[in-house]
Amino acid sequence: MKSAIASLPEALGPMELLQGPVTPGSLDDQVLQFPAQRPPLAWFVALTVTLTALAIGVFCMGWTLYYGIGVWGNNRPVAWGFGIINFVFWVGIGHAGTLISAILFLLRARWRNAIARFAEAMTIFAVICAAIFPVFHTGRPWFAYWLFPYPNERSIWVNFRSPLIWDVFAVSTYFSVSLLFWYLGLVPDFASLRDRTPEGWRKRIYSVLCLGWRGAASHWVHYDKAYLLLAGLATGLVISVHSVVSFDFAVSLVPGWHMTIFPPYFVAGAIFAGFAMVVIVLTVVRKTMNLSNLITDNHLDVMNKLILAMSCIMGYAYCMEGGTAWYSANPYIQHTFKNYISGFYGWAGITTITCNIIIPQVFWFRRMRRSIPAMIFVALAVTLGMWMERFVIIVISLHQDYLPSSWHKYIPTKIDFGILLGSFGLFFTLVLLFARVLPVIATSEMKASLSERQP
Amino acid sequence: MSSAIFAVLGLFSDTHKIVDAANQIRPRKLGRLEAYTPYPVHGLDRAIGLQPSRLGRLVMLMGVIGAGLALLFEGWVSAVDYPLVTGGKALFSWQAFVPVVFEVTVLFATFTAGLAMLFAFNKLPFFGHPVLHSKAIKDITRDKLALSIESTSASFDAEAARQALLDSGAESVEIVPVPSWDRPLSLVGFLRTIAAIVAACVVAGAGLYAAEKLIPVVPPLIHMHDQPKLNAFRESAFSADGRGMRPAVTGAVARGHLPPAFSTPEEAGILLSNPLPLTQAIAERGRRVFNDHCAICHGTVGNGVPLLSRVYGGKPGNFLSKEIGARPDGHYFGVLMLGKNAMPSYAADLDTDDRWAAVHYIRILQRAQNAKDEDLR
Repeated sequence: MKSAIASLPEALGPMELLQGPVTPGSLDDQVLQFPAQRPPLAWFVALTVTLTALAIGVFCMGWTLYYGIGVWGNNRPVAWGFGIINFVFWVGIGHAGTLISAILFLLRARWRNAIARFAEAMTIFAVICAAIFPVFHTGRPWFAYWLFPYPNERSIWVNFRSPLIWDVFAVSTYFSVSLLFWYLGLVPDFASLRDRTPEGWRKRIYSVLCLGWRGAASHWVHYDKAYLLLAGLATGLVISVHSVVSFDFAVSLVPGWHMTIFPPYFVAGAIFAGFAMVVIVLTVVRKTMNLSNLITDNHLDVMNKLILAMSCIMGYAYCMEGGTAWYSANPYIQHTFKNYISGFYGWAGITTITCNIIIPQVFWFRRMRRSIPAMIFVALAVTLGMWMERFVIIVISLHQDYLPSSWHKYIPTKIDFGILLGSFGLFFTLVLLFARVLPVIATSEMKASLSERQP
Repeated sequence: MSSAIFAVLGLFSDTHKIVDAANQIRPRKLGRLEAYTPYPVHGLDRAIGLQPSRLGRLVMLMGVIGAGLALLFEGWVSAVDYPLVTGGKALFSWQAFVPVVFEVTVLFATFTAGLAMLFAFNKLPFFGHPVLHSKAIKDITRDKLALSIESTSASFDAEAARQALLDSGAESVEIVPVPSWDRPLSLVGFLRTIAAIVAACVVAGAGLYAAEKLIPVVPPLIHMHDQPKLNAFRESAFSADGRGMRPAVTGAVARGHLPPAFSTPEEAGILLSNPLPLTQAIAERGRRVFNDHCAICHGTVGNGVPLLSRVYGGKPGNFLSKEIGARPDGHYFGVLMLGKNAMPSYAADLDTDDRWAAVHYIRILQRAQNAKDEDLR
């Protein structure tokens, strides 16, 4: 067996996931030291930047609340605009985290251990950012709870045949389950933090958060089972969430939306965008927090391979969409697809294709997959490209549909851009706080895989 | 405190060694075997005699319950309590209910898995466990694996357990006593907790009171609220009289509201006669007007018994009586316009045609209530 592995080319052999000696003890010292330390100046500078962006966003949301939703660019026939573009974008970003924590867990991909915690945290933060947009898009956010079926004095119920209600259930379930999954993973780490923190208020907080976890073997039996079950269930969930988001489009009759390819196409796009965001954040985190020995070039290499694979799936999906439009012989759909790459918004379609399909192809080269500047460039391009894709799908499809008399252009306002900026500010603020307050790497999972390595 | 021993802990560094040690010690039945480890160790659960987790069955059960509840709820809402046809679909269109059924299934199953694992199977949170107060816990949650022989009876032999752990390769051994329980339940601690809760409530209440007094409430969505138009009942600087609405020109007469040419009902009875022909439509209109405006006092059949309440002290006219029945149509019309006794004028509520239609309907009631034999043939 050993000789068979040795005879494989390097690329197919087992992957080295650690640099230098790492023991369970040294892992704790390295990862769990951050919450006790005072953050460096760079962290405060970064937090100032993100909080400024967040403040701009909060101001723009206040503006929207004060004057009403008319300060956004939305109007007939493009009623969805930035509100829904950003919602779909942020929900998609979250999907990479669940893919890493659930699907790769079931596939026993050991490289996920080092990045799972961070990716799960990003899932939760991304869904928080996503939730802002539909809530404000309702127009009167203080009545957003009307979306849930509850007995009310009006004696009416929600319409369970509407994809928008499916969406409410899918996204709220997704958020709750992601939070639970994340917390369960954190429980043993909170116990480690509790036992290495001197007496004081921090220790009390960790003691409560870990629920008195003591690592009993009789507990681990149930814990392992629960984690496995959650991973299995979350796998189905993550696929369902973006499928349901795509139903918002596919169930309608708008040309360019009414397509059966939408659910798989949306799920692939979500994972694609999410991986790009994970790469951006991880390259920065591992550099600034000196975690390069745990999150190695090999990890980033695998991530970049996945980005490349997803990029190819996206390319296939775009071709299939175009092929469907051609084969349908439906002039309305064909008109919409011509609009995607030409006309008033043609630049958006060209940007989408360039960023999502062409630029990631550099990852066929090993040198590019391991170059930090190259991968940051590609990841930024993919993030832009996936945002543009949602712009293309929503704005271009809606602004010219069946009735030429109701065609109208959509121009977003400063407030629209301000809220988008604010959502990025919120996301990175939460990421920064998380990086300094909670264990950024799932130490108990890492320790288990360390012990498996040592015979 | 010093007498009661909870367990004897032996610390190991190597997963294989602790599994071997557990296999050696288990047949000797020195006490309940347990292990405390920073991560799950493969094979250790079997070595100390643990059964596989039964969590999966519970999760399966709750998932099925979640699916069933979601389907029943959606069906009840969509087909029974609020039947709403959308897109020409059947009321119980179960295909459209599938996404929500799936999400609720996942929600029930995942929360069962997570919460039942923590709270039911592992009986957490539990902050008083003796091992948490041992010296070894610092190493247990870091990198050491602890095999624990726990006392199950008074005949527990700590020395034998200690020796067994050392013989099977434990690096060090710690005897964990049962912690004394009086400290966490002290009166001072209890009073402090109560005081803290009261203080928190006072601070929260005072803060909310101050916030309500100090922070102005800004009406939201003012673009919707303050539109560039005149509101009929609002003040406006546009007109000289400062009113938002334009009052009618003096002397203007609304359609259907000609001013009366009489000053008493008796005069009206002499001057006017019913101009409307008695048709089915007019009778229907009369019934609507009568039921909306007259029936509340004069009764649905016009017998002067109020629908409102017997407590009402007035005596509304009985249209079925000989005296009122003998009055001409114009008299009724005049009463409707001018009012009589406690009855106010209905001139502003009913237009001319409504009034005459109501008079027709009163005549119908009078005839129906005093029907003669030949009317029934």
